[in-house]
Amino acid sequence: MTASVLPRAVVRAPRPGFGNVLRAEWIKFWSVRSTAWSVGMLFVLGAGLTVLVCATSAADLADGGIDEAPGSFITWGLMIAQVTAVVLGTLVATSEYGTGMIRATLAAVPRRGTVLAAKAVVLTGTLLVVGIVTAFAGYLGGNAFLAAEGIGLSLDDDGVLRALVGSGLYLAGLGLLSMAVGLLVRHTAAALSTVLGLVFVVGNMAFLLPGEWGEWVAKVLPGNAGSPVTMPVPFNPMLLDPWPGFAVFAAEVAVLLAVATAAFRRRDA
Amino acid sequence: MGVGSGHSRMYRGGAGRQPRRHDHTHALSDGNAVIVARELTKTYGARTAVDGISFTVEPGRVTGFLGPNGAGKSTTMRMVLGLDRPTSGSVTVNGHRYADSPAPLREVGALLEARAVHPGRSARNHLRWLAASNALPAARVDEVLGIVGLESVADQRVGRFSLGMGQRLGIAVALLGDPAVVVLDEPVNGLDPEGIRWVRTLARQLADEGRTVFVSSHLMAEMALTAEHLVVIGRGRVLADCTTAEFIARHAASHVRVRSPQAGELAALLRRSGPDVSVDGGPGELRVRGIDTTGVGDLAGAHGLTLHELTLVQSSLEDAFMTLTADSVEYGAAPAGAVR
Repeated sequence: MTASVLPRAVVRAPRPGFGNVLRAEWIKFWSVRSTAWSVGMLFVLGAGLTVLVCATSAADLADGGIDEAPGSFITWGLMIAQVTAVVLGTLVATSEYGTGMIRATLAAVPRRGTVLAAKAVVLTGTLLVVGIVTAFAGYLGGNAFLAAEGIGLSLDDDGVLRALVGSGLYLAGLGLLSMAVGLLVRHTAAALSTVLGLVFVVGNMAFLLPGEWGEWVAKVLPGNAGSPVTMPVPFNPMLLDPWPGFAVFAAEVAVLLAVATAAFRRRDA
Repeated sequence: MGVGSGHSRMYRGGAGRQPRRHDHTHALSDGNAVIVARELTKTYGARTAVDGISFTVEPGRVTGFLGPNGAGKSTTMRMVLGLDRPTSGSVTVNGHRYADSPAPLREVGALLEARAVHPGRSARNHLRWLAASNALPAARVDEVLGIVGLESVADQRVGRFSLGMGQRLGIAVALLGDPAVVVLDEPVNGLDPEGIRWVRTLARQLADEGRTVFVSSHLMAEMALTAEHLVVIGRGRVLADCTTAEFIARHAASHVRVRSPQAGELAALLRRSGPDVSVDGGPGELRVRGIDTTGVGDLAGAHGLTLHELTLVQSSLEDAFMTLTADSVEYGAAPAGAVR
C-alpha cells in the first residue's frame, strides 16, 4: 500500500440521494453550449418578435386595419420561440445517445427512473422560468407600442397574466414532450422532425380534416391543445379553451412520458 | 524499465508470481470472488453475443479479459455494469447486482469502451457531474485530473482531445470514486507506448493495493504483461480461465531453429534420435521440436556437422492466442437484424 494513487478519504462521503442526481443533471445541462444558445434564442425570439410584431401592428390594430384582438399579439413571439423548447427537450435525451454518454450516466446512476426525474426537473424548471421571463419581457416591450396607440393591455385584463404564466407552462410541457420522444427515438434529427412535424405541420393540417371528428382531432393535437393557454385571446377560434386545452395537453405529455420511461427502464443502454 | 526489458517478462511468463490453482468449479464457489458471472448469456435477435459464460474475478490481482474483437467482451462488461440486461444468467459485483449499489462510482470504477463523453463538454465538467451524482467531494475532480495528467487541458472541450487523452479521461472517470473494483474496457486503445506502460503500471498498482482489477483487451501480448490471471473468450464462450503462467505454458509452444550447410544430413540424424522429435523446414534451415538446443548441438558435434545458428524460438503468445481463438473469430458483418 505504498504511494497509493487514490487517497481513501472519499469513502466517507455521504450516501447520494435525488439532490445529488439533480445537481449532476444540472451541471450536465448547463455545461454544453447548445443549452445557452437555445435559452438565448428562446428569449430573443420570444420577447423580440413579440415587441417587433406589436411595434409594426399597433397602428393597424388601433384603427381596425387588422381585424384581430391586441391580446392575440402580446405573446406572438412564443409561437416561434417554442421551437427552441423542442430543441432543448430533445437534446436532453438524444445528446446522451448520440455521444454514448448514456452509458456513463447509467453507470453513475443505475436507477433509471431517478435519472429521468432529475432530467425532467432540470428541463421543466428552466423552461418554466425562462418562458415566464420571456413572456413578461415581450409583454412589457410590446405593450409599450400598443399603449402608445391607446390599445394597451393591463396585467389585470382578462387572461393577460394567465397567458404570461401559461407561456412558461406550455414551453415546459412541450420540452417534456420532446424529451419523451427523444428517449423513444434516441436520435436527434429523427426526434426533432417528429415533434416539430407533429406540432407545426400536422397540427395545422389537421384543421383540413372533414367533419366533426376531424375538428376534434385537430383540437386535441398537442400543439393545438396546449397553446391557447399562452394567449389572452387566441387567433384560432376553433381551439379549446385555455385550461381545458392545457389539461388535455398535459395528459398527452404524461402518457408519452410514461411510455418513454417504461422503454428507458427496459432497454439496454 | 524500457519496453524491451518489459517484453522479456513476457517470456518468463510471470513465472515469479504465485501460480494459483483456479479451475472452474472451484472458482464459482470461491467466497473471495468480487465479480461473479454465472451462465451469463446475451442474445441480440438471432445472434448470441455471450453464450452462457461463467467466471470470477478476484481482488488483489489484475484479471485480463481477453478475446478477439466481437468475442463478447464489451457486451459482458456492459452486463457487469448493469447497462445491458442479460438474456439469462447473472453477474454480481460484491455479491449484488451493480444496479443495486447506492453509490456505484464508489464501489466500481469503469472505463467504458466508447468514449461516453459529450464532445462539447470540458473534461472538468464531465468529471464534475459524475462526482456530483455520487456525492463525491468536488476536490476529487482535480485529484483525478492530476493522476491522469490532464490538468492543463481540463477546461478544453473533450471533442478536441486525441484518442489517448480521451482514454486518460476515461481512466480518470474510473478512479473518481476511489473504487475497490476497477473495470477497464480496452484501456490501451489509442495510447502511445508511454501511455500503454502507464496503464499497465497503474493497473498493477491498483491490484497491489488490494483492489479488484478487470481489464479487457484483444491484445494478447499486452495482457501477458499486465494480467496475472486470464479469462479468454471467443464467440461468447470461455476458452480458458487460468493464470497467465499456465496459459503460456499450455499454449505457447517452442521449437529449435537450426541453420546448417548440412541441414539434410542433420535432419535425418534428428529424426532417428528419438520418437518425439519432429523436423520440418526448408533447405539450410530446420524447425525442430521435441529436443532442446543442447540435444541438437551435441548431436551435430558428435557427427562433425557445422551449425550456423542454434536458437530456441518461443512462439509468441499472440500466435498462441490466434491458434486458440482461430475458430471463434467472427468474420464478416452480423446479420442486419442482429444490430441493435
